[in-house]
Formats: sequence, structure tokens, C-alpha cells
Amino acid sequence: MSNFFKFTLLLVILIITFVVAMLSGISDISVVEMFKSLFFSSDENTYTIIKQIRLPRVILAIVAGAGLACSGCVFQGILRNPLADPFTLGISGGAAFGVSIGFTFGITKLSWFFLPLFGFCGALLSVGFVYLLNLKKEFDSNSMILSGVIASYIFSSAVMLVFSISSHDQLYSAFMWLMGSLAFFDERLLHIIAVFVIIGVILLCFLGNVINIISLGSEKSSSLGINTAKTVKYIFMLSSLITACIVSCCGVIGFVGLMIPHITRKFVGNNNKILMPFSSIIGSIFLLICDTISRTLIAPVEIPIGVITSIIGGLFFVFLLLKKTGKISI
Amino acid sequence: MIKIDNITLSYGKKIVLKDLSLVLKERTFIGIIGKNGTGKSTLLKSIVGLLKPIKGKIFVYNEDIYKTSKNMLAKNISFMPQTMQFDFSFNVKEFIMFGRFPYMNMFKVASKEDVKIVEDVMNFTQTTEFANRNINELSGGEKQKVLLAQTLVQQTDIICLDEPTSHLDICSQSTIFKLLKMLNEKYNKTIITTIHDLNLAGEFCSDIVLLDNKKIFSYGLTKEVLNYKDIEKVYNITVVVYTNPVSKKPVVIPVYN
Repeated sequence: MSNFFKFTLLLVILIITFVVAMLSGISDISVVEMFKSLFFSSDENTYTIIKQIRLPRVILAIVAGAGLACSGCVFQGILRNPLADPFTLGISGGAAFGVSIGFTFGITKLSWFFLPLFGFCGALLSVGFVYLLNLKKEFDSNSMILSGVIASYIFSSAVMLVFSISSHDQLYSAFMWLMGSLAFFDERLLHIIAVFVIIGVILLCFLGNVINIISLGSEKSSSLGINTAKTVKYIFMLSSLITACIVSCCGVIGFVGLMIPHITRKFVGNNNKILMPFSSIIGSIFLLICDTISRTLIAPVEIPIGVITSIIGGLFFVFLLLKKTGKISI
Repeated sequence: MIKIDNITLSYGKKIVLKDLSLVLKERTFIGIIGKNGTGKSTLLKSIVGLLKPIKGKIFVYNEDIYKTSKNMLAKNISFMPQTMQFDFSFNVKEFIMFGRFPYMNMFKVASKEDVKIVEDVMNFTQTTEFANRNINELSGGEKQKVLLAQTLVQQTDIICLDEPTSHLDICSQSTIFKLLKMLNEKYNKTIITTIHDLNLAGEFCSDIVLLDNKKIFSYGLTKEVLNYKDIEKVYNITVVVYTNPVSKKPVVIPVYN
């Protein structure tokens, strides 16, 4: 199967998933009604459900899935480590810290804007910390990973500290956020986030071959004419910003950034130029399915999406490993 | 022509080579030899622009390599590192294509010319048969051939190699070095390689740089540099140097007693 055909197939699957996700929910809406309210006017009730409740959330799932999966490829490729994911540099810890402070000191109640803002600032704080630690050195993936681990530890313990002085209510909402959920999201941010993440993902996909070269090691990449340290810094900056944006809106959604790239590798190989666009689209489909399940399975109660992603993704990956070789091997 | 002008190389505070000057002629096959840790690879890396000297300058075709753009340099000098680790395996053909990177356009897409050059080089290095295999599945000898192919598609006049055959059997060693010799003689490439095996150096190199104690001990034609007195002095071991009866090239044999 050619890659072009595979990609088209995935696009079709994405569209089908989109339609199914738009139709699922407590109130029954027919396909015709849905398209009517999407493109033309319809009665107010359906319009509200489709355009103001479901559509923003579905778009966010698509955008976040693509962003996380694409950044996952970037981090794995550049850090040359199959266990790397978008949170390796401590972004999740930083964001969690920002958000838990926001919840505990009641700042998030002041305005809708403060929750994502605190998440974003926390994420930038941890990324900045890792960059500062590596500022003077030549690029070295192990030292980057280690600083990321250090940042995670410091921020996680800071989160614990903040939690220990929080009330039950605050703890509960902060905890739900930590598990990752698209429910906290305010659609007023959707335009900015969607445009930024989509442009970022497209840019990163164009840099696929550069990431290939960097994954050969700094000696080879430098002798092929790349200023490795500088390029790595820019690429990290871009993918960290994408991740920070997503985390600040949907919390820490694990698994997508780690496993979607690996699942995609099984289909299209390790060439980042091909891997990254495929990963992005598979990430979108995956997160959209997971989010739809999370809000419909035991509605009106929502299951945190992080739980769903891990269960489905993990099982799927086990299936993939077993099917390919008959026994488990990575 | 490469002109090395009074350079000092160091890792942090540790000085590896001091006040070293050297002129390497075009179209020669140069071997850099010396004991472990005397700075063979360090010298090589500074020539390809990977390690900036703390003092002195290096000129390639009369241009200071640490002032020319990296992309220009990549079209003049290519470098094959000693080891390369692949956490994610690439397909051999796409891996070799990475060597065309300096020539690719803004979107880094391979042109028809790139594809043609990769195919030619794969024929030359006899790597066509495993074009579609994964690089991690190859044997040591096959892998080195692929690494060499990737270096060759860069189409540079100067090719630098860091221990290209250090853990290969004698058959694979000779395959790699025969290819290098052909590149040197038939395609007029300048080959600079660090090498541990003195007999391989004696057989294939036209010139040898012998490093010792942060300096150049001697530099000249292979048969002049590989004399038993110098080798014994530098390597601290008794050796016998005689002439290979078939190729008439020097052979160094250590004497253990």
C-alpha cells in the first residue's frame, strides 16, 4: 500500500470519526440535523448542542491529538530515546504546579482565563528551567533527559506541597485536571489554540528530514551542514510550546505522545518525514475516539480521558506486538 | 589543500594537541596514526569543523573553515564517524539519502538528481542488494559499507573517516579500503583517515601523519614514516618492519618477549 493511499484512508477514517463523535451524546440528533446546523441555520436547541458544545470539543480533541503525537515523534527523534514523550522535559510537572496553585488559591474562580494561563505559565517555567540547565553545554540528549527528570521531580513535589494545604473541593478539581480532561476547556480559547497548534504541527512535519539528520548524532548532523545545537533548540522550543498550549487546555493526557508514534512506526517505519504527518493524524483519530468514549460511556459522568487513552492504547499496542511476531518484543 | 596553522586543540582544560602545523596535499591518501589517546580523532574532527581549535586556524582551499558556512563546508568535506547508534532503525536506502541533505531545497525533499546519485553510489559500494533492509539488521561489514555510501553521496573532494574498519574482519577491512583507494586513485578524492592497524596504513595510505605527545612526530611518505626506529619510539614496543613480498608495501610486526 502506498503511503499516499494510507494517508487518504486515514483522512477518511478521521472524517467518519468526526461525524460519529458529533452525533454521540445524551440528546439524539440525526445526521441530517447535524449537517444542517453545522452549515446552515437550524432550531436554536440543536444549534447550541452541535455548534457550541460538541464542535469545539471535537475540534480540540483533533488538534490536541495531532499536537501531542507530533511532539512525541520530535522528542523521541531528537533525544534519540524510544521512551521520550512530550512530557520528558518536565512540561507536565510544571503545568500541574501552575494549575494546582491556581486552584488552591482560588485564582481560577476569578475568571475563565486563569486556568489555562496558569497551566501555560507553569509549563513554560519548567521548560525554561531545563533550557537554563543546558544553556552552556553542547547539545547532549542524556543531559537534557536528566534535567527533564529533575524538573519533573521538583515540580511534582511542589504540587504535593500545594495539595497538602488545599481543601477537599480544590483537591478534587485539581486532581481531575491532572488526569487530563477536555471538559475544563473554554471554547473562547479554541481559535488561538487550534490555529497555533495546527501551524506548529505543519511546521514540524516539514522539519521531518532535519529531525532525521539530527537523530544520526551531532557529529554526523554537523558534518552534514546543520548547526545542531541551535536547530535542536528551535525545534524543542516549538514542540514545547505546542505541548504547553495543549496541556494548559486539556491537562496532562498521557500515552498519546508516547505510544501513538510507536504504533505509527509499526505501519510506516521510522523516517520522521513520513512518520510525523501519519502520527499526527492517527493521534487525532485516537484522541477523538477516546474523548467520545469518555463523555458517553457512563454519561452524564465523565471518565477522565487519560484513563481511556491508557487503557485503549495499551491494549491496542499489546495486540499489535503479539500479532506481528507471535510473542512480545519491542 | 588543507592547511593547518599552529592549532591547539583541547577538551575543556585538557590540551590534546599543541601548536600543530601541517599541510595536507590534495589527492593524497593520508593515514593518521599514533597511540590511543594521542589525538588522532581529535585532529580529524577539527579538520571537518566539529572541534574548534582554541588557538590557530584551519584553511581548506584557502578558506578558514570555522568562518565558512556549515552548509558550504558540508559540500567540501564529508565525515564518517567511528560509531553511530540507531535507536530507531532506518531503511538502508533512505539512510544513504540523508547524505544528500546539504544539497536539498528548503523543504528537504530529494530531487531526481539525488536519487540518481544515491543509486550510483549504492552500485559503487555494493550496497544495492540490501537497499530495503533495516540498517540495524546488517552485519558489521555491511553496516560500514552503508555508512561509507552515506558519506560518499555527499560528493565532497575531501573525505574524512574515523577508524572506518576498527572492528571488522580482514575481508571487510580490505573491501572498505579498496573502495577508498579507488576513490583516491580513480576519482581523485583526498582521503584522510585515522587508523590503528599499521599494516592497513602501510598497504593503502600514500602519506602518514604519526602523532605522539601532543605533537606531530613525523609526517611524510608511508615507507619513510613506517620505519622501525620511529615506531618503536612512539609505541614503546619492539617491532620488525619488512616489505610485503607481493605488494612491496611495509609490514609492521610486533615482537613480544
